[in-house]
Amino acid sequence: MSDAQAVSVLLEDRLITLTRAVGLIRRRNLPVRSLAIGPTATPGLSRLTIMMQSDIETAERAVQHLEKVIGVRGAIAFPTLDGVARELALVKVRSPHHCYAELLDVIQLYNGVVLDDSNDGLIIELSGSEAFVLSCLRALDAFEVVEVARSGTIALGTANNLQSEAGR
Amino acid sequence: MTETLTGSQILCRALLEEGVDVLFGYPGGAIMPFYHALPEFPGLRHVLVRHEQAAAHAADGYARASGRAGVCVATSGPGATNLVTGLATANMDSTPVVAITGQVARAMMGRDAFQETDIIGITQPITKHSRLIEDVEEIEDAVREAFQVAQEGRPGPVLLDIPKDVQNQRGSWTGGRADRRTGGKDSTTAVPAYRPAALEEAARLIAEAERPLIMAGHGVVLAGAYPELRVLAERTGIPVITTLLGISGFPESHPLHLGMPGMHGEVHVNRAIQQSDLIIGLGLRFDDRVTGNLAGFARGAKVIHVELDSSEIGKNVPVAVGLVGDVREVLCSLLPLISPRNCDAWRREIAGFVRPRDESFRADLSPQAILDAISDASDGRCTIVSDVGQHQMWVAKLFRYQRPNSHITSGGLGTMGFAVPAAMGVALARPGLPVWAISGDGGFQMNMQEIATMVQEGIPVKMAVFNNGYLGMVRQWQQFFHGKRYSATPIWSPNYVKLAEAYGIAGHRVESIDQLEGAIAGAAAEPGPVLVEFMIEQEANVFPMIPPGGSLSEPIEGEAATPLVSA
Repeated sequence: MSDAQAVSVLLEDRLITLTRAVGLIRRRNLPVRSLAIGPTATPGLSRLTIMMQSDIETAERAVQHLEKVIGVRGAIAFPTLDGVARELALVKVRSPHHCYAELLDVIQLYNGVVLDDSNDGLIIELSGSEAFVLSCLRALDAFEVVEVARSGTIALGTANNLQSEAGR
Repeated sequence: MTETLTGSQILCRALLEEGVDVLFGYPGGAIMPFYHALPEFPGLRHVLVRHEQAAAHAADGYARASGRAGVCVATSGPGATNLVTGLATANMDSTPVVAITGQVARAMMGRDAFQETDIIGITQPITKHSRLIEDVEEIEDAVREAFQVAQEGRPGPVLLDIPKDVQNQRGSWTGGRADRRTGGKDSTTAVPAYRPAALEEAARLIAEAERPLIMAGHGVVLAGAYPELRVLAERTGIPVITTLLGISGFPESHPLHLGMPGMHGEVHVNRAIQQSDLIIGLGLRFDDRVTGNLAGFARGAKVIHVELDSSEIGKNVPVAVGLVGDVREVLCSLLPLISPRNCDAWRREIAGFVRPRDESFRADLSPQAILDAISDASDGRCTIVSDVGQHQMWVAKLFRYQRPNSHITSGGLGTMGFAVPAAMGVALARPGLPVWAISGDGGFQMNMQEIATMVQEGIPVKMAVFNNGYLGMVRQWQQFFHGKRYSATPIWSPNYVKLAEAYGIAGHRVESIDQLEGAIAGAAAEPGPVLVEFMIEQEANVFPMIPPGGSLSEPIEGEAATPLVSA
C-alpha cells in the first residue's frame, strides 16, 4: 500500500552534505514527492524533509541509507498521519475587476492571505496540509493562475517521543 | 609541539601516521606541490603507475591483501577522473581505499580552469565519503577522518580533493592525531545492534532446521572470521557455500565445503539452496548474481542475515533474523548458544544432487589443468587475482583455495582490467609470496601497460593470460541469448611473448598440455614479473549457467541446451 511518508533528516548545514543526502535518494531510485530544507533551532544543523510516495518499509530503508551519510546526524521516517505536515504556497493570480469579489471569497474560504495586491493581480499565501493546498489551488483554477511557488512539505513526528535535535 | 609546514608536508606526515608505506600514483599540475614534498619522506614508497585507473586498482588490491587502506594519488581533471572505475570497484566490493586528488587553486575553482573537474561531485555515489579540503588547517584531521571512515565499519573508498594552493599553504602540524581518535560517527561501525533474543532466535532456527546452509560472503574475509565460521560449520555439520567474494573464507578441501552459488554456481549448490529451509547468510548482500530471480529464490528457506551494514538486511531477501554487526563478533556471541548437531541426512541428499561435470573443454589445455599446475607450483601458497569473464568463473570454481583471503577479484562491479594492477598492490602487501594475475585476452589488454610499472618498481607479479581470441563471456551470452551473432567479440592479441620481451621480462606461450608444467615451473622460478599465455579452446563455455533473470532452479548445463534467442 503506497502512501505518503515523511523522512525527516537532521544534517549539517553545508551544501556538500545536502548534495550527498539528495544524491543518495536519487541513486537509490526512491519515489520522492517533495523536498524541503531549512535551518533548525540548533546552529549548524538543517532539517531536510523528504516526502515519499511509498510504504513505510521503503521510507525506513531510506533512513538506513541516509544515516550512513557523513554529516547526517539523524533521520526518521513516519507516515504523515502520525506526524504534523504542512506546506506553504504562494500563488499569483490575475484579478480582473469583474471577478475580484469572487476571488476574495475563495481566498477567505481557504484562510489565504493577500500579500500583494497590484492592478493586475494578487499574490496569495496559503498554508496547510498538502491536500489542503492542492484543494485550494484547484479552487483558484477557476481564475487565471499565473505562477505558483510551493515550499514542499515540512513535517515533524508527533511529540510522543521527544528527542532533542541539539547534541546530535 | 606544533611545527609550521606546508600542506603537502602535513599530508605526508599524516599519511605516515596512518601507517601508510606505499602510494600508487601519477603526478600532474595540480598535485605537484605534494610530489615536491614526497622525496622528504622516504617512508612513503611511491609506485608510478602508467594510468591512474591502475593506481586505484593497485590500492584496492593492496587493501584487500593487507586489510589496511590502500592509497592512490592523482592530479586534478583527467587524473582524477581516471580513478573513477577503481573507486567504483572498491565501493562495490567494500574495500578501504583512500584517494588523494589535486585540485586547481581555490581562486580558480568553479571557473572551468585548466584540468578542473568536480571530482567530489563525480565520485559522490561511488565513494563512502569524500571531502574537499579548503584550508591547510583541515588536512591533518581530514586524513585521520579519511582513514577512519575508509577502514571502519563496512569499508569503502574515501576521496580527499586538495587544491594546489592549499598544498602550498603553510599551516601547523601537531601530530599524534592518529592515536587520538574520537570514534567518529559511522552507522556501519561494528556495534552489534540486535537484541539478545535475536541471537537466541537464530540459535533456535539453527537447531531446528532440517536443511540448513551457511552462505559465506566477503564479510567473512573482511572480518577474518575463518575460525569462527569453521567452528559453526563443524559443530553443526551445516554445509558451507562461499560466494564469489567469500571464496577462500572456508577451506575448499573441507568436507563441508559445497562450492559457489548463483549464476555460474554448481548445480548441486543451487539446488541445495532451492531445497533448503534455513540460509545463514554471513557478510553478504544477496546480490542478483547469487540469488538469480528473487521471486524464485529459496522459497522454503528462512534467512538469518549477519551483516555489518544494517541497510543490507532485508534489502533483497526477506529476513527472519537480522544480526547487525561484524561477522566475527556476531559469531563469537552466537557460538556459545549453538549445540552440536549433524546434518548427515541433508548432506547425503545434497550429495545426490551432484552432477558429473559436463566437460565443456574438449582440448587438453583446460583451465582445470592450468590452475592445478599453478596451485601445485606454489604448494597452494599463492594469491590468485582474477579479472572478469569466463576465466574468472573457472578460477573461482576450479582453483583449490586453502588459505584465507587467497582469492581476489572484482565481484560487484565486474571490472575488466582489474587483475594486473590489483595484483601489483597484492604483491607489495605480501612480499615474498607468489601472486598470480589471471586475465583473459580482453581484460589483460585493458591494463597491460602496467607491465612497465612492474619492471620499473620490481614488482614480481606472475601474469597469466587465458587466450581464446574472444571476449569469451560476452561471446557465450551471444551464443545462448543472441542467436550466435558474435558481434564485436572476436579480439586480436599481440604476440605476448614478444611483448614480454619488449618489456624485458620473461614470456612463455603454452599451446599444449605438454608445455604446461615447464612453463609454470619457469614462471614460478622467475624472481621478477613474468607473462604466460595459455592458448585455450576458443569457444568453450562456463557451465552451468543460470540465464539472466532466471531462477536458480533453471540452469543451462551444457551445449545441448536449447539456445534461447532473445527477442
